[in-house]
Amino acid sequence: MTPLHRTLAGAAVVLGAFAPFAGSPYRTPPAGIDIRSLATEVANEEDHVTAIELATWIQERKAGLRILDLRTAEEFDEYHLPHSENLPLEALATTRFAPDETLVLLSGGGAHAAQAWVFLRALGNRHVFFLRGGLQEWLDDVMSPTLAADAPPETKARVSALSRYFGGVPHTGTALPEPAAANSVTALRRRGC
Amino acid sequence: MSAPLFLSDHAALIAAVVIGIAFGWTLERAGLGSAKKLAGQFYLTDLTVFKVMFSAILTAMLGAFWLGRLGVLDLSRVYVPGTWLAPQLLGGAIFGAGFAIAGLCPGTSCVAAATGRGDGLAAFTGMFTGILVTGLAFAPLQRFYDSTSRGTLTLPEVLHLPYGTVVALLTGIALAGFAGAEWIERRQRAPEPEHARVATLVPEQEPQA
Amino acid sequence: MNDRPTRSRAYADPYLAGVGLGLVLLAAYVVMGRGLGASGAFAATAAGATNAVAPARAAASPFFARYLAAPGPWRDWLLFELAGVAIGGFLSALLAGRLRREVERGPRISRRSRLVLAFAGGSIMGLGAVLARGCTSGLALTGGALLAAGSWLFIGAAFGAAYLVAPLMKRAWR
Repeated sequence: MTPLHRTLAGAAVVLGAFAPFAGSPYRTPPAGIDIRSLATEVANEEDHVTAIELATWIQERKAGLRILDLRTAEEFDEYHLPHSENLPLEALATTRFAPDETLVLLSGGGAHAAQAWVFLRALGNRHVFFLRGGLQEWLDDVMSPTLAADAPPETKARVSALSRYFGGVPHTGTALPEPAAANSVTALRRRGC
Repeated sequence: MSAPLFLSDHAALIAAVVIGIAFGWTLERAGLGSAKKLAGQFYLTDLTVFKVMFSAILTAMLGAFWLGRLGVLDLSRVYVPGTWLAPQLLGGAIFGAGFAIAGLCPGTSCVAAATGRGDGLAAFTGMFTGILVTGLAFAPLQRFYDSTSRGTLTLPEVLHLPYGTVVALLTGIALAGFAGAEWIERRQRAPEPEHARVATLVPEQEPQA
Repeated sequence: MNDRPTRSRAYADPYLAGVGLGLVLLAAYVVMGRGLGASGAFAATAAGATNAVAPARAAASPFFARYLAAPGPWRDWLLFELAGVAIGGFLSALLAGRLRREVERGPRISRRSRLVLAFAGGSIMGLGAVLARGCTSGLALTGGALLAAGSWLFIGAAFGAAYLVAPLMKRAWR
C-alpha cells in the first residue's frame, strides 16, 4: 500500500468509524410525511388559496410564484391560467423547486391538486398551496364572477376589476347570462378531477 | 452556508457544464474512457472500474453524511433516486449485460467518443438509439415501469439500522473490497519477462508504485 | 517497470481518481441538490428530437412527457452536464497525449464486429437505463452514495449480469 493509499484508507476508517456515534445526518426530517403538522395546516385552511387570492398574486406579479397545472396536455392547451405550467403528477416527485418559490397547484376540480399538495409538502417544499375548487373555481370566481347585489361596493369593484384584468366577464345578481365571450370558458366547467 | 444552493436557470446550466467537465476529466484520468480497461473489470484483470466507482461512492457518502451532520448540507433536500424494485432489478440486469457487451457505459462512452474512440461513438449512438426506441415503444412497458414502487427508500430504512451505522458498514465493506481487488490483481499479474517490456499502445494494467 | 502508452502520461491512481469523482458528486449535491447522470441526457435528446420530427409520437410517449414539460428538453440539466463530460474527457486526453482515433478491441476481433457489438451493447444499456430510471452515474453513483435501496439493487443486478455475460464476450477482448 502506498502512502497515498494509506492516507486515504485511514481517512475513510476514521470518518466511517465515527459515523455511528454522530447521530442523524438529517437537519430536518427526511421526506416522510409528518402527518400531525400537515393535518394542522389542513384544519387551519393554510393549505389552499381562493381563486381571488391567486388572481391577486398573478396581477401583483408575486415573486417566485409558480402555478402548476396538473391536468392533461390537451386540457391545458384548450385553456390555462396565464403564467401557469403544465406538470403531470408523476413529474412532481422529480421536479425540484427552489425553497423560496410559492407553488400553487391546480387541477380540474381540485382533488388531484389537493393530493399533490400532500406530496409536495412531504417532499419538503415550504410554500405550497392548491386551488381548492380547481379550475372551476377560477372560472366561477374570476372569469365570470357573480357579484351579489348586497355585497359591499369596494368588494364588487375589486372583484370586477380583477376579473376584467384577466379578460373575464363579471355580472351582478343571481342569474347567469351566457355572453358570447364566455362561451368557450363555460364549456370547460363540467370536467372532472 | 445553507446547502443545497439550488441554483436555478442559467446558473444551474453553467454549473452543469462545469460539473460535467470535472466528471469527464476525472473519468478520463482514471482511464475509464478506454473500453479495454473497463472490460478488464469483468475478466478480473483490471479492477479499476470497481476501485474508482466505490472510492467515489465512499467519498460522496462520507462527505454527504458529515456535511449533513455538521449542518452544512441539508441532506433531506438532496434528491435521492427512488426505488422501484422490479424495474430496477430487471433494468439493472439488462444494463449490466449491455455493459459487458459494449465495454462502456453512458458516461464513459461519451468520454471515449470525445477522445477519438470509434467504439465509444458506436456505444454512444447505440445508447441513444436504445433509449429512443424504448421511449417510442414505451406504452406497453408503462405498467411494469411503474410497478413495485417503494418511494425514497434508503438502506437504513431497509436494514432498520441508523444511517451512521450503515455508513460505517459500507465503509468497512468497501475497504475490504479494495483489499480484495488488490489481491486479485496481484494474482493475475504474471511476472514480466525482460523481452516483453515493449511500449504498448494501451496498458493492460497500471502497476502500483 | 512502467508499461504506459507511448508518448502519453500514465493513468491516475484509481483510488485518487475515485475520490476526485466523489468530490465532484458531492459538489453536485451541494450546488444543485442533485447528483450526476448520463442516461437522462440521452432521454432528453430523444424526447426533443422526436418532438421536433413527430410531435404526436412524442406526446404519445409517457416516457418522453417528463422531458417535454417545462423548461423543455434542450434546457435539461443533464444534457448540459453530459456536454461538459465530453469536454472534460477531451481536455484530459489532450493534455495527457491520449487523443487517438482508434477502435479499442482485442486481437481476435475485427473493427467492424467490435463496432457492431458496441452499438448493440449500447442499445441494450439504453433499454436497461430506461427501465431502471438511470445508469451507473445517475443511479449507482448518485443514489449509492445516498444509500438509496434501488441504487444498490441496480449495482448488484448490473455487476451480476455483466459477470455472467462477460465470458460470452471474451473473444472481443482476449
